[in-house]
Amino acid sequence: MENIITKYCLIDSTKVIVDGKTEFENSANESFGDYMKSIYRHYDFKYPKYFKMDNLCKIAFIASEIILKDNEIIKTLDPNRIGVILQNSHSTIDTDLSYVDTIKDKSNYFPSPAIFVYTLPNVMIGEICIRNKFQGENTCFVAKEFDPDFITEYVNNLMDSEKLDVCLTGWADFIDNNYKATLFLVEKIKENQKDNISFRPENLKKINKEG
Amino acid sequence: MNKVYALADNIITSLGFTTEANFNAIKNGISGIAQTNDPKITQVPMYTSIIDSEMLKNEFTQFGDTTDYTRLEQMMILSIEKAVKQTTIDTKSNDTIFIFSSTKGNIDLLENRRQEFDTERINLWAIADEVCRFFSNKQKPIFISNACISGVSAIITAAHLLQSGKYKNAIVCGGDIISKFTPSGFQSFKAISANPCKPFDVTRDGITLGEGVGTIILTVKKEFVKDSNPVIFRGGANSNDANHISGPSRTGDGLYFAIRNTLSEANKIDINIDYISAHGTATQYNDEMEAKAIGLAGLEHVPINSLKGYWGHTLGAAGIIECIAGIRSIKENCLVKSLGYNELGVSVPLNILTKFEKREIRNFLKTASGFGGCNAAVYFSEENAD
Repeated sequence: MENIITKYCLIDSTKVIVDGKTEFENSANESFGDYMKSIYRHYDFKYPKYFKMDNLCKIAFIASEIILKDNEIIKTLDPNRIGVILQNSHSTIDTDLSYVDTIKDKSNYFPSPAIFVYTLPNVMIGEICIRNKFQGENTCFVAKEFDPDFITEYVNNLMDSEKLDVCLTGWADFIDNNYKATLFLVEKIKENQKDNISFRPENLKKINKEG
Repeated sequence: MNKVYALADNIITSLGFTTEANFNAIKNGISGIAQTNDPKITQVPMYTSIIDSEMLKNEFTQFGDTTDYTRLEQMMILSIEKAVKQTTIDTKSNDTIFIFSSTKGNIDLLENRRQEFDTERINLWAIADEVCRFFSNKQKPIFISNACISGVSAIITAAHLLQSGKYKNAIVCGGDIISKFTPSGFQSFKAISANPCKPFDVTRDGITLGEGVGTIILTVKKEFVKDSNPVIFRGGANSNDANHISGPSRTGDGLYFAIRNTLSEANKIDINIDYISAHGTATQYNDEMEAKAIGLAGLEHVPINSLKGYWGHTLGAAGIIECIAGIRSIKENCLVKSLGYNELGVSVPLNILTKFEKREIRNFLKTASGFGGCNAAVYFSEENAD
């Protein structure tokens, strides 16, 4: 049985694309924080915890919310069979640098647990899992570039071995105001489903280029 | 599906640079944890397990120039070198894949803004590139950064890739160093123990950090295996609490799901497990959550220990070195005592090992949990057992 992409979302510094359509544009050329807040307001999201997140979590979280916001069916599925598998290049280096600033001087030493907790890249997966009550397989891979060949192989293996029914997967990276997220919702194909996008490397590569 | 054999391994910690040195030390109840006042690590005296820099330098110079590689890369190269030497596998072969795990990688470069390495080297994938280049391996490596379950995640990922037939051998290497970064963070959480950590004990008051690297080589090629009754990977799974990013679940349900899915993949329907190697970080919440998860799985009768009292919490290495110790327990038919434990301090009556024991061990379950709400479990057994 083939696995398919039932929804995807790409966020880069200029626009938000959902299933091939541009749903929001950064026409005012806002900074990352303001731009994310504008997207948050555009979709009328209400999740106060969002404002505590670091930038990597913010972009991954916003992309996941856009994909999942009207999905009522997913709430009825077994949470242990919904996974989140993400890949990224710069881990949490951006937040690591902010954290290092709080510990480098003996005279100005104020390490904060609220920053330290965001110095692990899988925490973005944790935030998405908490929001949606997903409890299945969750792994954060770090690679220089988005690797659709590996991601499709890994996720298809989890789906085909009956460990997962649904998987949110893709790429989220943030470093020094360069950022991009491309997330895909992957499900098993159902009978009579047509016009689907197969969850194959070539389709991930094509979609990732839309940004 | 291909059978995945545990072929060879190595552990590098403060207790020694070989699996034998480490396992002999822990069998004798020797801990590598000591107090440090090193300003490069901590502002206040702290217990930790640190690898001797001179010893590392002396060992590494046999294989490479210490100025070309960071502290963590040197540890990883040394560990892989020592593990590979026990086998006939070819690190250059396209049948061999390298899989790495670490939480913070070359974090010392970021703290010290060290000029001798270019800025790219702070990336986790740059470590993988350097190590693969050293071993002339051209396959794209895999790097996992899944907080404190990273090592177990790396083993599971490797084993599943081998089962699917994509590769014949996997060199799984995980490690973390101790610099100022991680201790200060855990101190800010008030999660560092005032004394060497005491997993599952009633007086436990937090973790002890340690540095280390572990390497395990997995293969599907039985002809490489010299052991008449080798240890094989039987199953592994991970899960998420979906509860809190820095606090474990209050119910243990997430870890329980990982244990259940692991045993189900292993087709292990009975609960005759010989040994559980727990995560046992010695924080109040982790140990209580873990005890509840083990209770939910009906495994509270199984002999259990935490090895954190010997080499501390080695973060990205922990899952790997603790699995290697589990494999040793099978091979030597013995169980190591849970160092630091005196009196039960969790709500489920676990069967915690209070002394070194000789007994037949055919299998073990290893558990791990971490920030981000992640949990993992992996199950190994002798090929000819259950």
